[in-house]
Amino acid sequence: MTRTPVIEACGLTKQFNSFTAVDGIDFSIFDSECFGFLGPNGAGKTTTMKMIYCLSPRSSGELSIMGMDPERQPVAIKSMIGVVPQDNNLDPELTVAENLVVYSRFFGIPRKVYKERIEELLEFMSLDKKRNARIKELSGGMKRRLALVRALLNKPRILILDEPTTGLDPQVRHLIWEKLRQLKLSGVTMLLTTHYMEEASQICDRLVIMHEGKILLKGNPHQLVQEHTPNYVMEFSFNGCMVRPEKLAEKYACHIEIYGNRCFVYADSEPVLNQIRTDTKIDTRIIRTSNLEDLFLRLTGRGLHE
Amino acid sequence: MKTALPGCAWRIFSVFLRHKKCYTKHLFANGFPPFIEPLLFLAAIGFGLGKYVDTINGVPYSQYIAPGLLASTAMYTSTFELTYAAYIRMEFEKIYDAILSTPIGIKDAFLGEILWAGAKGFFFSSAVLIVITLFGLVKSPFGLLAPFVGFLTGVSFGSMALVVTSYVKDINNFNFYITGCCTPMFFLSGIIIPLDQLPEGLRVLSFFIPLTHCVNLMRELILGSFHMSGIIDLVWLMLFIPVAVSCAIYRIRKRLIV
Ligand SMILES: Nc1ncnc2c1ncn2[C@@H]1O[C@H](COP(=O)(O)OP(=O)(O)O)[C@@H](O)[C@H]1O
Ligand SMILES: [Mg+2]
Repeated sequence: MTRTPVIEACGLTKQFNSFTAVDGIDFSIFDSECFGFLGPNGAGKTTTMKMIYCLSPRSSGELSIMGMDPERQPVAIKSMIGVVPQDNNLDPELTVAENLVVYSRFFGIPRKVYKERIEELLEFMSLDKKRNARIKELSGGMKRRLALVRALLNKPRILILDEPTTGLDPQVRHLIWEKLRQLKLSGVTMLLTTHYMEEASQICDRLVIMHEGKILLKGNPHQLVQEHTPNYVMEFSFNGCMVRPEKLAEKYACHIEIYGNRCFVYADSEPVLNQIRTDTKIDTRIIRTSNLEDLFLRLTGRGLHE
Repeated sequence: MKTALPGCAWRIFSVFLRHKKCYTKHLFANGFPPFIEPLLFLAAIGFGLGKYVDTINGVPYSQYIAPGLLASTAMYTSTFELTYAAYIRMEFEKIYDAILSTPIGIKDAFLGEILWAGAKGFFFSSAVLIVITLFGLVKSPFGLLAPFVGFLTGVSFGSMALVVTSYVKDINNFNFYITGCCTPMFFLSGIIIPLDQLPEGLRVLSFFIPLTHCVNLMRELILGSFHMSGIIDLVWLMLFIPVAVSCAIYRIRKRLIV
């Protein structure tokens, strides 16, 4: 079965003067899927999102949203997209409910419809008690939930979530994940950027890993981990450890990565790692299955990207 | 669900409504100053200074300056609205990022801003009109049309302010525009000094100041003394406004869309 993509990008590029923030990326996003964009700060995720929701014109390449060109039909496209931007840009001069009323009007939603929908969504996000609060009285988590409510006012077909959970406590994070799963079931196509690998592997059907404006890998998160990293990792610190890591790699034919004084030994089977631990008397309890974070860090490096 | 796309007029108006909502939330605090300022001005300049000035073109001095106050108040309110306030919305509150993520485009958003600046010009000049009416300084029923000139004043100066805002990188830079441009315009527009008392060079310059034409129109309506030159003032503004509005939209698009 061939599905037509809801969003299709081909050679999508964005330049700021001479700096290339997004460098010729290709991707297709299908109906009702959750598509993740992973990448260190500055990878070009937000810039890509902004091109999709028509805030920033592309420099070159093709981009089609529901068959439309963002340059030519921004009104039609934006009326079907909901955006949770990276930085909350809630209106500080208005209360929670007023924010939502004003925003509904931007979409041309009739009064009768938005009144009901606002109540519904506030309840959905457990914000109904904060209806008349001012924005600055809200906690970080509440602001984020309100941004999500705002993004849902127009019943979007595509929901763009730019780091929806960054900086939130685990409770709020789990609440938001739960809501996103519900939304996904209702058929909304979601684009999600995040720094939380757990979030990406739990919610995303497919994702891309971006770095310096390019896509390094794309696919299903679980398959990617399986295909691109050995199944198991042992972690240990060098302090007081006599082992020369290069020697280990040679002797046991395993993959080794070192960051500072932390060493990661990758192997496809757990017994191999146990063997290494016994043989070398390395003092560690951490032998675990490898995950998306290992893959991410291997691809994008463990150094800072700022 | 497929809903009809919001039309252009509605998109502009919805931005206007956002500003109206913010403003009317604090109606008392926001609505007070436009009534107080002309009172102070009339008391200090009109009745104070008026003691030393005889009449100008046959009208008492307080009567002479009163109409101009409708224009200057419209100039200042629309200027502040689209310099400091717009800059805060743009750079600190990031309101436009939110607005532009909806079906609202740059043109809609900033036509809405300019419309709002015009509306503030209208309301502020209405407030002054009420005050000077109480002082018996309105001589003609055509004075009721003066707030519409206030609207044109607001649109003109709102657009100019937006052009300035599109260049500004630091909010303090607006001081240069206010003291360097608006204040001289105030003095050269014939509000307190009759244009024919100005040196030749300044008189020519005053023709190119939009405020001059707003003041002329205000004075004609409020004093009920119409001249042919009123047509020139109106035509001048009608030519200036589309140019100013287009420049404002062009500049702000350049600033915001990268
Ligand atoms: N308006 C802009 N002007 C110049 N450079 C920009 C602009 N916006 C983003 N960039 C640069 O583009 C790169 C990608 O940014 P961004 O898309 O925000 O990354 P991410 O969201 O992945 O952290 C960064 O290096 C950033 O500094
Ligand atoms: Mg970002």
